[in-house]
Amino acid sequence: MLKEAFRSIAANKLRTALSMIGIIIGVAAVIAVVSVAEGTSQSIRQNLSAIGSNLILISPGFTRGGGGRVSTSLSDLLTKEDAQRIQQLCPSVLYVTPMQQGNFIVQYERQNTMSGVLAVYPQIFNMMNLKLQEGEYFTEEDENSRRKVAVIGREIADTLFPDGDAIGKTIKITSQSTRQNYRIIGVLEKSGTLLFLNPDRSILVPFSAAENRLFRRSYVSSIVAQAYSEQTAAQAVSEIDSILYSKFQDQDKYRIVSQEAMLQTINQTMALLSFMLGSIAGISLLVGGIGIMNIMLVTVAERTREIGVRKAVGANRRHILIQFLLESIILTFVAGIIGVGAGIFLSKGIALIGSIQTAVTPLVILIAVSVSIAVGVFFGVFPAMKASKLNPVEALRYE
Amino acid sequence: MVLYQADEKAGVKMNVIINVENVRKTYKMGDNVVKAVDGVSLSVFEGEYLVIMGPSGSGKTTLMHLMGCLDKPDSGEIYLSGQRVSKLNDRDLAKVRNKMIGFVFQQFNLLPRLTALENVELPMIYAGVPRAVRRKRAKELLTMVGLAERMEHRPTQLSGGQMQRVAIARALANEPQIILADEPTGNLDSKSGEEILKIFSDLHSDGLTMIVVTHDPEVAENGERVIHMRDGKIVSQEVRASVGNA
Repeated sequence: MLKEAFRSIAANKLRTALSMIGIIIGVAAVIAVVSVAEGTSQSIRQNLSAIGSNLILISPGFTRGGGGRVSTSLSDLLTKEDAQRIQQLCPSVLYVTPMQQGNFIVQYERQNTMSGVLAVYPQIFNMMNLKLQEGEYFTEEDENSRRKVAVIGREIADTLFPDGDAIGKTIKITSQSTRQNYRIIGVLEKSGTLLFLNPDRSILVPFSAAENRLFRRSYVSSIVAQAYSEQTAAQAVSEIDSILYSKFQDQDKYRIVSQEAMLQTINQTMALLSFMLGSIAGISLLVGGIGIMNIMLVTVAERTREIGVRKAVGANRRHILIQFLLESIILTFVAGIIGVGAGIFLSKGIALIGSIQTAVTPLVILIAVSVSIAVGVFFGVFPAMKASKLNPVEALRYE
Repeated sequence: MVLYQADEKAGVKMNVIINVENVRKTYKMGDNVVKAVDGVSLSVFEGEYLVIMGPSGSGKTTLMHLMGCLDKPDSGEIYLSGQRVSKLNDRDLAKVRNKMIGFVFQQFNLLPRLTALENVELPMIYAGVPRAVRRKRAKELLTMVGLAERMEHRPTQLSGGQMQRVAIARALANEPQIILADEPTGNLDSKSGEEILKIFSDLHSDGLTMIVVTHDPEVAENGERVIHMRDGKIVSQEVRASVGNA
């Protein structure tokens, strides 16, 4: 039966190939599109897991932009003391640091650049899993004695010190109102963008050494906390929430986002994106299916006499139905396999040319091939039914 | 109503294998309604060689299709070995065509993509005969009809006489009781036609029930009983030899 189906398909090679093209393109497009979405999602997840885990970001809320006013971030809310209370009162929280964030002009001799400056507690290195390339981290002692030292990102180091040798040098950080000297004691390894900051383009300094000298405000940009473990992360969020709520009495004034929640949001967004793009690509699968149906109808019409002969020698409706259904399934299955190959090829090409990450997962291949088979069944049933219902006498008379 | 059946000769026991009772069948040809078979009653006996004769349009082919379960009558009943055909569903009818009846057509109706051997195997595939068994039997049958050297040939590589012999081998595949042949020599030269008729006579001698539809008097000469049809009705019959030779 299978052999016969292959033989009838092979009897019309050009026609077979043409009718398969729709399915091939459809499957290849789905595979390529989903591979791009999957690859992007994977690289985001890799970035996220490169940072220390179980982080919680506490940031000020937004004012509602009603009545023609622009919605703005509430900057006069969170303080260093909030961070300290979280550290003291939340049993599920391992580390906390307040964070001051700003962009300043940084200068060394004749070189200068714009850089993000982060004023944080030394725990940040542990929390965010920041690795040193050379030198050392600043410490609790540096924090306590307001020592003006700095750990700088790789790109900043490359910009200011093209010849290397940044350790021990003193840089000038200039704000609108002041200019401060900081001594470089460490350079970070290159890490890429992590979640809410880019360490490669940042300068990290002790919180106490910058809060009054550089930032000159009593409110902080945000607070970063770390839970003990994944299991206690949700607990930590609710502990922090109860402390902040007791202070502000208004849930809109602050936002607490855990790493898991961010990860989830990203995953959901990517899943939605890949579903939508995949669906669009899937339309060509539908079109391909209609092509298959068309060709199967032609085949049935052409082979009316054959169907009559088969019925005369003892084929029942089921035999005929299965025979033609098998042919359309083989068509779409083979097209699906070729499409997967083309899709993988395409996805590799995109990765190479677009220099982005793509990933073809076994699940996608499985789905693509099963969908092709489903298309074969769906669009093959009607022609096969038509064939099986032919009256043998009329079929035999057909010229 | 005249019942056309063979005279029962003294001492000869005959079993009816096909019983046709007042069968009618009409076709629509465009706007015209054609009464192809118009109230035919007929009994066919086991082991009989029956020839149905008549000019084209007399309804003889339609009658053959009805007896062969390829078509259903509008009214009347057909019994095959006592089974009421109108009670059978698609599956059962297919089984009857598969096991009980072998068809031989004027156009041969071999499947062009299959070899002679595969064409003969086809009915056995639908009967669920295991591959090795059906291959062996198909070879035996082709050898029997004198095509041992042509088994792997496709129909287009065979002469008309050879194609009809493949068709006969195919008709015999599942050891049917009845052979229904529609103008089996109509597309053949006289020598090939004679060979086919010789095979038919041999099959008849082996006990098969032969029903041959033709308009050719020479073909009719082989029959034991000849029925003449005109305008969908049986108009006469002649018995040429003793029917139902035990």
